[in-house]
Amino acid sequence: MTTPLLEMRNISINFGGIKAVDDVSVHVMPGEVVGLLGHNGAGKSTLIKILAGAYQKDEGEIFVDGKQVEINNPRDARAHNIETIYQTLALSDNLDAASNLFLGRELVNRWGLVDDTKMESESRKIMARLNPNFQRFSEPVRSLSGGQRQSVAIARAVYFNARILIMDEPTAALGVHETAMVADLIKELKTQGLGIFLISHDTREMMDLCDRVSVMKNGALIGTERVEDVTEDDILSMIIMGKNPKQAA
Amino acid sequence: MANGLGKLIKTLQIDTRLLGMIGAFVAISLVFHIATGGTFLTPRNLFTLTLQTASVAVMATGMVFVIVTRNIDLSIGSLLGIVGMMMGILQVQILPELVGFGSPSIWIITVLFGIIVGAFIGGFQGWLIGYLAIPSFIVTLGGLLIWRGGAWWVSKGTTISPLDPSFVMLGGPTGTIGATASWGLAIIGSLLTIYFLMTARRNHLSHGFAVKPVWAEYALGAILVGGICGITAIMNAYLVPSRILERRFAADGLEMPEGYTEAYGFPISVLIMLAVAIVMTIIAKKTRFGRYVFAMGGNPEAAELSGLNTRFLTVKVFALMGALTAIAGVIASARLGSAGSSLGELDELRVIAAAVIGGTALAGGVGTIYGAILGAFIMQALVSGMGMVGVDAPLQNMIVGGVLILAVWVDIIYRRKTGDS
Amino acid sequence: MHKSIIAAAVVAAGFGSAVFADGHGITVGVSWSDFQEERWKTDEAAMLGAFDAAGANYLSADAQSSATKQLADVESLITQGVDALIILAQDGGSIGPALDAAEAAGIPVIGYDRLIEDPRAFYLTFDNVEVGRMQAAAVLNLVPEGNYVMIKGSPTDPNADFLRGGQQEILQAAIDSGAITIVGEAYTDGWQPSNAQRNMEQILTQTDNAVDAVVASNDGTAGGVVAALAGQGMDGIPVSGQDGDHAALNRVAQGTQTVSVWKDSRELGRNAGEIAVALAGGAALADISGAATFTSPGGVDVSSILLAPQPITIDNLNLVLDAGWIGKDVLCQGVTGVAVCE
Repeated sequence: MTTPLLEMRNISINFGGIKAVDDVSVHVMPGEVVGLLGHNGAGKSTLIKILAGAYQKDEGEIFVDGKQVEINNPRDARAHNIETIYQTLALSDNLDAASNLFLGRELVNRWGLVDDTKMESESRKIMARLNPNFQRFSEPVRSLSGGQRQSVAIARAVYFNARILIMDEPTAALGVHETAMVADLIKELKTQGLGIFLISHDTREMMDLCDRVSVMKNGALIGTERVEDVTEDDILSMIIMGKNPKQAA
Repeated sequence: MANGLGKLIKTLQIDTRLLGMIGAFVAISLVFHIATGGTFLTPRNLFTLTLQTASVAVMATGMVFVIVTRNIDLSIGSLLGIVGMMMGILQVQILPELVGFGSPSIWIITVLFGIIVGAFIGGFQGWLIGYLAIPSFIVTLGGLLIWRGGAWWVSKGTTISPLDPSFVMLGGPTGTIGATASWGLAIIGSLLTIYFLMTARRNHLSHGFAVKPVWAEYALGAILVGGICGITAIMNAYLVPSRILERRFAADGLEMPEGYTEAYGFPISVLIMLAVAIVMTIIAKKTRFGRYVFAMGGNPEAAELSGLNTRFLTVKVFALMGALTAIAGVIASARLGSAGSSLGELDELRVIAAAVIGGTALAGGVGTIYGAILGAFIMQALVSGMGMVGVDAPLQNMIVGGVLILAVWVDIIYRRKTGDS
Repeated sequence: MHKSIIAAAVVAAGFGSAVFADGHGITVGVSWSDFQEERWKTDEAAMLGAFDAAGANYLSADAQSSATKQLADVESLITQGVDALIILAQDGGSIGPALDAAEAAGIPVIGYDRLIEDPRAFYLTFDNVEVGRMQAAAVLNLVPEGNYVMIKGSPTDPNADFLRGGQQEILQAAIDSGAITIVGEAYTDGWQPSNAQRNMEQILTQTDNAVDAVVASNDGTAGGVVAALAGQGMDGIPVSGQDGDHAALNRVAQGTQTVSVWKDSRELGRNAGEIAVALAGGAALADISGAATFTSPGGVDVSSILLAPQPITIDNLNLVLDAGWIGKDVLCQGVTGVAVCE
């Protein structure tokens, strides 16, 4: 049994008396895509934000490559090569693509000043791979389309050598063509050995992209199953009824 | 023809808002030049205008950062008052005892002290806003009351005057560097401008980016160098009044030669303002701190998620504002030659107006340093011009208020048309 | 429970006041317009001196420049059971309801320093028109012919126009004969020195320095004017002021300011205190010793005492020194060749 790339064990967090995440354990192996499914408010985003460093867990442990780590803020997460693509994309609308890509990790010249031309050059290189038609590097990102903004957010994660990637509703605002591009990207990242947590409300898409799915309801983990072992209906009943039919009896 | 002009501006990569503001300033100046029968656009009046604008312009650069981060600072006028008062007491009542009257270290210690106190008070307000999450409007509104009351308390309501003679040179026309030094600075400034234009072009080329056509580079360089030299020429065209020169010679026991003239050159307070403008522009565009200020203003949540410590950033922004307020206090009290407890009253309104006229959006995330400086000049030109023409004080206030609203409305229309939200 | 305590206190205060004719048990209430300004602390100290001498008690309130708050302040003082009121009116035109309340409670009122156009208020002030006359006279004495600039006070302060009127009286003859021309005139927003400095600079630019004398209405604005003149090497031409500000007196000693009309506010405060005690003891307004009838600009006759201000020039600086108003080291800082500073 190889060591999981990332493991979250018995994670709990309270918000004002309500257990938003209640004793949840998930893990992801290298080259694997694990999906998180559930209603709004099930705790998926909260769990993911704990991993990303945006929230601090109250209980539980996190292991990277089998070693326990502390993640208290987004910088810690990045230091362990955990990159996140948020549902809201977390882009600063008034800054351009390159500035957003390097936000918090700017390239500086020997005077310690921000090197805009180098950052733009690097951004062009990575965007050429992800979205070759993208050319609007010096405009503020608020004037870009949803798909273009998405590619900037993805480029940010990919550029910094993520080993664990979190994607929160990556295709929610995208058209058919762009959704297909994201799917292709995920497949490619799998072959590179990344571990990916994927949150989506689209059950069918999850079945296509993921290797395993975990279903949460009201903060608790209902069950984790390999995609081959379950049908869409099984998943739906887990989401709605909160019971894992595979464990019945 | 208009299309050709538009293309020219685009090729030179000049910000159209900047052009608009320069245009507004020129228009106001021309109107007053005609109305005053030709005294507005004289070297003397333009020189005086820069002296009158310096302290507000310095504070306006700091206010840009404050407003960009979606905050406001209503306390700077009162902060200027109390820091100015403390500097006055230090240099008049405390330091002469310690280091001797007229010692050159007096102004240095006083200015450093003022900047430290200003930064400390500003940082404290920033801490209340960033870490205790009290809205900046409330914290600085309280500050406005507290520091103004404090200024009166510290001074028992008296005015400290006269101030240390070296200190006074930091604000008034006695502190100028003369024609030769001014040309020296102009030459250095022009050379640096050309150097930066060249390195920027080389940098772009080395990464394979598109660059302006060569003639456009030359044109831009010529415009900038022309601007620097033009302003220097104006400062040098204003001659020191003969009465002052005669006194200076008499004080040395000499007679003034026939027809002797001397040009003022740049006032030290204006050089301080220019230095602040350059440093703040570098901070805004080229440092991580500046980048984070704008990121936080654009999307505070995104900034947090990118690992930026937005709370500490707030402290730093307000501490910077406090330090700049102290510098403005040095200029303001030096210019007046005294430190009274009403110093700086209502300055926060002028400073916010300058920043906003200069294109800083109250919604946050957008603003330029050069815009704020131009905004300060536009407002001051308006007020001084009206004073020369003899417009009554209450009517002056009405006009300034109207111009402020008009300027922001124009800015909003412009943003809508160019597609910024 | 609370209400009965308050009721009992009010009754006790009512009984306690106005029992003894010599001032014991008398309480005087003072409603300040804005206690933050420089000079009022001196006035208060002088009033307290008079109260202590008469054994009277002192209550006060600060209206913080709000006419509305001042009404509430006066009502509060009345409720606390004062026997006489001294009101430094924020806005004489709005103080009527306060006088109504005082009259209903049988409490006499002194209008302090600022005019209240109402016969029910005793007007105690320095003659502000006389201050204006003294300012203009001192300057006219040195410059009987030439170009004058009038730097006035705040456009919202009625005193500014009183001063201007007095100045005009003195200068009228010379203006009519053409000896004097007024080449510049400006109000000063908020009496702020920096506004006066800027206005003076613009007038100097506009007239190309063709100015021979400046009649400034107070010491703060005079300071701004002198700073503007110094920028052109013109400091030393006659400039007037008022208030006896320490910085201004220093300028008088140095020769950059001609006169500062001094109103010893200690005199005003002392008088106010004594008159308040007398009125509380039952004296009628017209019976106060030294009282005369003053006809206000609005045609209202009020009982009044107008104290005489004292112009301080370089020749009589000893007056402010002897009166203990300013210390010699402050007065003489940087001054050479003046007898009183040797």
